[in-house]
Parts: sequence; structure tokens; C-alpha cells
Amino acid sequence: MAKKDSTTKTILVALGVCFVASILVSTAAVELKPIQENNKKLDLLKNILAAGDLYQEGIDINKTFEEKVSAQIVDLNTGNVIPSTEYDDVLNIENFNVNVLASSAKWGEDITATDDIAGIKRKPTAMAIYTVMDDSNSVEKYILPIYGKGLWSTLYGFIALDKDLHTIKGFTFYQHGETPGLGGEVDNPKWKSQWIGKQAYDADGNLKIEVIKGIVDQTSDKAKYQIDGLSGSTLTTRGVNNLVRFWLSENGYGPFLNKLKGDNNG
Amino acid sequence: MKFLRTILDKQSKHFEEGGKFPKLYPLFEAIDTLLYTSGKVTSKGSHVRDALDLKRMMLMVIYALIPAIIMALYNTGFQSNIGIASIADYEPTGWQQQFFLMIGLTFDSTSILSNMVLGALYFFPIYLVTLAVGGFWEVLFAVVRKHEINEGFFVTSILFPLILPPDIPYWQVALGITFGVVIGKEVFGGVGMNILNPALTGRAFLFFAYPAQISGDKVWAAVDGMSKASPLGQFADSSMQLTATWWDSFIGLIPGSMGETSTLAILIGAAFLIITKIGSWRTMLSVLVGMVLMAFTFNLIGSDTNPMFAVTPAWHLVLGGFAFGAVFMATDPVSAAFTNTGKYYYGFFIGVLVVLVRVVNPAFPEGMMLAILFMNVFAPIIDRFVIKGNIKRRLARNG
Amino acid sequence: MAKANYKEIVFDPIFKNNPIALQMLGICSALAVTTKLETSLVMSLAVVVVIAFSNLFVSLIRNHVPGSIRILVEMTIIASLVIIADQFIKAFAYDVSKQLSIFVGLIITNCIVMGRAEAYALKNPPLQSFMDGIGNGMGYAVILLVVGFFRELLGSGKFFGISIFSLTNEGGWYLGNGLMLLAPSAFFLIAFFIWILRTFYPDQVEE
Repeated sequence: MAKKDSTTKTILVALGVCFVASILVSTAAVELKPIQENNKKLDLLKNILAAGDLYQEGIDINKTFEEKVSAQIVDLNTGNVIPSTEYDDVLNIENFNVNVLASSAKWGEDITATDDIAGIKRKPTAMAIYTVMDDSNSVEKYILPIYGKGLWSTLYGFIALDKDLHTIKGFTFYQHGETPGLGGEVDNPKWKSQWIGKQAYDADGNLKIEVIKGIVDQTSDKAKYQIDGLSGSTLTTRGVNNLVRFWLSENGYGPFLNKLKGDNNG
Repeated sequence: MKFLRTILDKQSKHFEEGGKFPKLYPLFEAIDTLLYTSGKVTSKGSHVRDALDLKRMMLMVIYALIPAIIMALYNTGFQSNIGIASIADYEPTGWQQQFFLMIGLTFDSTSILSNMVLGALYFFPIYLVTLAVGGFWEVLFAVVRKHEINEGFFVTSILFPLILPPDIPYWQVALGITFGVVIGKEVFGGVGMNILNPALTGRAFLFFAYPAQISGDKVWAAVDGMSKASPLGQFADSSMQLTATWWDSFIGLIPGSMGETSTLAILIGAAFLIITKIGSWRTMLSVLVGMVLMAFTFNLIGSDTNPMFAVTPAWHLVLGGFAFGAVFMATDPVSAAFTNTGKYYYGFFIGVLVVLVRVVNPAFPEGMMLAILFMNVFAPIIDRFVIKGNIKRRLARNG
Repeated sequence: MAKANYKEIVFDPIFKNNPIALQMLGICSALAVTTKLETSLVMSLAVVVVIAFSNLFVSLIRNHVPGSIRILVEMTIIASLVIIADQFIKAFAYDVSKQLSIFVGLIITNCIVMGRAEAYALKNPPLQSFMDGIGNGMGYAVILLVVGFFRELLGSGKFFGISIFSLTNEGGWYLGNGLMLLAPSAFFLIAFFIWILRTFYPDQVEE
């Protein structure tokens, strides 16, 4: 055997260690990949179910999702559903990721600075829409992904709209990095529950919903369009207000919602 | 008075070595020396040059604080009286307001008595909690470590309530001063060894631990649920109208931490500190210079989106805790830079940082506390470089 | 060499020679992952496993590794173990892995792992090295769990996600301490831990 510090031995040991290590690492990565992919998918489904008020601890997520929810991707500019034949690596239901879409050349576009109230610079031109069906298999509500800048971080969440397309049925963020105790109160169940039943649009279809600074005056006739601000966190409150208003505007889901309205009436 | 001395002398044997309560000696000593001068007389060649010992020095600081305390009482009452007057059919909340009505007074913002008494009802309980809880830790550490209780705590205990909002819960006051005394001071070995200003350390703890009770716009007037932004908050948020004039801010008739609002009262204290040579004019001046330069720079740069860029140096002076911090906090002899040259740098950077935090940081409207604590940490390094520089110069001069 | 005392090898690093409290190693991750007890626990387990096995493997080949590439070999072993641990966590504890995010990967740069491989495993037989790895991993784990326990309890009123103190924003009485949810609070808690430790072991106090 070669001497411990000889060149041959050095190269041999280096190769040997690398060989063994690479086999171990790649085995682990390949073998565990399906489980990880499944976890990712379940996590996304779980968040969607939670936004639609369908999630409870211990339910079969896949089954509930398949029974209750149908997913489709719509073109934000036209409001048309994109057929699954046009799906590619970036755009598909299974791995729907707004950041990947927004940064891609094909499915993303810049937002002009004046329109960009949510502070996201680029937006996907297509978004996944989740439709919740009731037991008689007619539409109950729509769950729309939303995101935008708060104070420190980008907040990612869902807003659920009733089939009448103006009543809010649920509101939740599943990922953010706001200050605990202040902006982090967007997770507060009490605050989130205020959204349910509020009106996003008035009878003429004007966008009305807003998160105000301070507490909503319940006696005011505007109360049904207003959400309490988060106490002590002006900038997170403003961020949430802006991102909701962005996504519900013509730049966001406007065309899609109009189209649905047209279908309902016609 | 003779009578009191005799009592104390009689009791002293119980507290000395071999007596009944040797452990409580620090407590006895503190009471004794507070009432009389120290019983210990220097036996060898003395190096004390005048009668100004630490205890007298601390008393001077407390005298200097008197105008600020009076304004704290008046303005705290004044702000809640205005707030109460703005609500129709007001129901008194909290024991302070109940008690206030019980002794026959009415909410009236034009009456000095009404304002002072209502303010006192908010200020003094907070002060007493600070004194009791902070004092407990002081005595505990003095007993365990077998050293005497230091008077520095009297200053800390009066500074701390002055930098708090009036309706802060008492348990938070207790937690804050505990953190300030234990982490800010005792873990470093007690008075003289602390790197940070204990009162500010306590406030910083509360600021990060319970932000809802010490920031935002609900806390500055002692009226339940009353939203009253401080002018600093109004500057930071373009959607709010500024409701105070510069003179209101200067005199101190604005919502804010109890003792920090009146720049006028603080400047009177500053004059006293400078004349008696207790507080360092170098620190105060350089904080001011740093602030003015930085504020001017931001004025020149300007910004369309951030209204804080346009705030002039004159406004910075009267907003938030700037004046109070510059006069009473930055000059704390223990946590500030020690060398005279060092004080210029130390103060200057506090001034720069305050404006930087106020203007650029979106989350914290006020930067004085953070700026001072930050520079507290750097003070020893500044001193080190100053001293090294001195040594170098001397070597060069004298070979 | 004297007969190895396994009990000492395993238990000394927990209090007497704690890698965080005495050697001040691996503090970064101790700040980042301790807002909850659950993440602290998973992170601790990952570190224990990685140190133990990196020590074992380094020790197994210690007589064959040329001095010139010894650090490279150690790094390769550690990095591989960390990637494997990361993959396992992603597969079997997905929620936790989302919260731990990059910090599992950063075990590679955790000084404790590299330090033990260099200082101990290169000079001692495999079983002893393995035990040393477990001991040091547990020393790290103890701090993480203590810090995680207090941060979760005081910050969110919970213990392993179960409400102990009912929070005011959910209608209870306990107002969560926001400082505990910020990373710097771990500094204070670690400092308290060291303070208590050094009261019992005064010889740890540095002059």
C-alpha cells in the first residue's frame, strides 16, 4: 500500500471519499424525491382548503380537494380559461408558483409603476383559480391567490369570493415575515374572520373593499366595505390593503370576474 | 434631627459584621447615607478635590429633571382632559379617573389643578412601581454581592417613568425596569461597569416585547381606546394631518412619552446641568450638530414617497425623545464616552443615527432610544481610539 | 491511551464542556431556529446525527487520510451527511422543514461539527468518536431546547404548539412577549443559561 501522504494515495482517498459520498447523497435524493413532491403538493392543497374553510386537522387532503375543488388556470388579461393543452413546465396546476411565472418571459409581464400598488414589479399573466363546489355540484365560491409587499416581506395568501362575486368568504395568508405582534397579526384568527361577509364591490361593480387605519365604525354605511387596520403597524396594514385592491382590480382578477358575471347573466 | 441620628447609630450594630442582620447592611447604609453624610472618613491621603460625591451629583441630575417632571404631570393630564372632552357622554375608565372624580375634581383641560392632579395620578403610580421593583433588584444584588447600594438607581428610577407612555400597564413597567436593572446594569457588575443606559435598556425591552403598548397612536393619551398620534407619527404618515404647531411641540403640549414632550423644560434642565458642570455640554452640542447636519442632508436629497425627508432640523429637535435623550440619556457618565474628544464623536453619531432611523427606517418612527443604545455600545471603542491617538501624538512629540 | 470512559465522553459536553455555553460555537443556528420547540427539536436531532456520524466516518478513515486533504475530506463527509439529513427532514417533516428553511443546510458551516472532527475524531477510535459526537450534539441540543422552550412559552404561550397560556388576541389573558419571537432574545436566554451554568461550575468563568 502506498505511503499515507503520497500523491497516489491522496488522489485515491479523495476519489474514494467523493465516490461513496456521491452515491449516498444521490440515493437519498432520488429515493426521497416522490415523498417530498407529495408533501409540497399537499401543503399547497392544504392552504387552499384552509382559505375555503374546508380544512380540518386529520382530513384526507387529496380526497377533500378532489371532491370539493376544481382548479383551472385563467389568462388574467382576457379572463379566459387556459386549456390544459397549453400547460408547460412553468405553467401547470401541480407546480403552480407565482414567482416562477412572474419572472418567466412567456407568462410574466412588468407592471407599470403607477399600477404597481402591491409592490411586486412583475405579475404572472395567468393565475390558478380554485372553484369550490357544494354538494349539489354547483359553484359555491372561488379561491383566488393573492400576494404583495408588506413592511418587511412579501405576503402570500388567498382570498375567497362567494359565487355572487362580491361577498368575501375567506381570507388568509400562508406565508409572510412581518413583525410578530404587530404586522404578524395578519395571522390572528379574530382579524381574519372580519373579512368574511364583507363586500368587495358595490352594486355597480366598483372596487370598494379597503383596510382602513384604526377601527371600523360599525354604524357607518361604509362598514360593509371596511376592515380594521392592524394596530401599531401602519405599513403592513397599507400593504395588505394595496395588495387586495390590486388583485381585485382590473390589473388583477377584474377581467376574469367580469367574464364570470357575464356568463352568469347570460 | 439629633433624635434620628441616635436611632440610626443604635441600630447600626445589628447590621455590622456579627450583628443580627449583616446581610441587610447595604440597605441600612443606603438609608443612613441618604439622610446623613457618609460615616466613613478617608483615613489616608485623600484624592477627593471637592464636596461633590456621586450622591450629590445624582441629586443635581434630579433637580435638573424637575421642570421636565412638572411638565410631564401637566401635559399628561392636559392630553387626557382634551381627549375626554372630545368624547360625548364620557364614561371614566381606569381607577385613576374614578379616583379623580371621587375627590371632587372635574375633567377640565383649562384648569391647571385638574391637569396636574390627573397627570400625577398617572405618573406617580408608574414611578412607585419602578422604584419598588427596581429597588428590590438593587438591594438583592447589593446583598448577594456584598456591596453598597448605589444612588445611581434614583436617577434611573426617575428617568424610566418619564420615557414611558402614561397608560402603560404596571406589570410591564415592572418587567421593563427589571430588565433594565438586571440585564442593563447588574450583569455587567453594577453601577460604573454597565455598558448600556439601564433606563433605556428597560424601555428597549418593552418596545420590542410589547410593541402594541408603547408604540403606534393609541398609547400617548391616557384615554381608553383614544387614537392620538404623536406629531412624529403624523410626520411619518402622509395620510395624517399634522395637528400640532412647532410651539406646541416646543412647550410640550403634544401627545408623547410623559417626560419627553416639553423641549422647553428639558432645555432648562440642560442649562442647569451645564452650569453646574454635571452634564457634558460636549455631548449635548455634538448630538445637536449631528442631528442638524443629517436632517439638512435629507432635506436636500428630498423624496417623493417618504414625507420624513422633508422634516427640518427645528422640528427634529422638538419631536419625540430627541431633547430628553440628548440632555439626560446621552450624557449618562457611565455609558457615554469618557474622553472629551470621544464625547464629540459619540454625540455626533447619536445625532446622525437618530435622524437616519427616523427618516429611513419604515418600522420605527422614533430613533433616539436606539441611537443612544447603539452608541453606548461603541463608546468604549471610541475612547480606546482617542487614547491611542493621544499616546501616538505624545510619542511623536516627545520621541 | 487510557481506557475510554464513555459516560464522561457523552455527558461532559452537556454541562461541563458545553459547545455553545463554553466554547461559544454554533450560535447562529441557535438564534435562528428556536422560536418554537418543535423546530428546535428537529434541528437538534439533525445536528446530533450529523456530528455523531461525521465523527464516526472521519475516525474510521483517519489512518488513511493524507494530512494535505484532511479538511476537504472532512467537509465532503459532513456536507454529504447534511444533505442527506436535509432530504430526510423534507420528506418526513415537511412543515418543520419549511420553517427551518436554509438552516439545516447551514449545519455544514456549524463550527461544532467541523471542530469535533478536527479536534477529536482524527485522533480517536471510531466508537469513542461516535460517542463524542453524540455528547457534543446533545450539548448543542440542550441549549436549543431550553431556548426554544422559553421562547415558545413566553412568546406565543405554547408548548410544542399546544396552548399553555391563552393569548389575549385569542381572548385569553396572556400577552405574548414579542421580543421572544425575535432572534436577539436567544442571546439573552443563552446568556442566562451561561450565567446559571457558571454559578454551578465557577471554573468556567474566564478571567
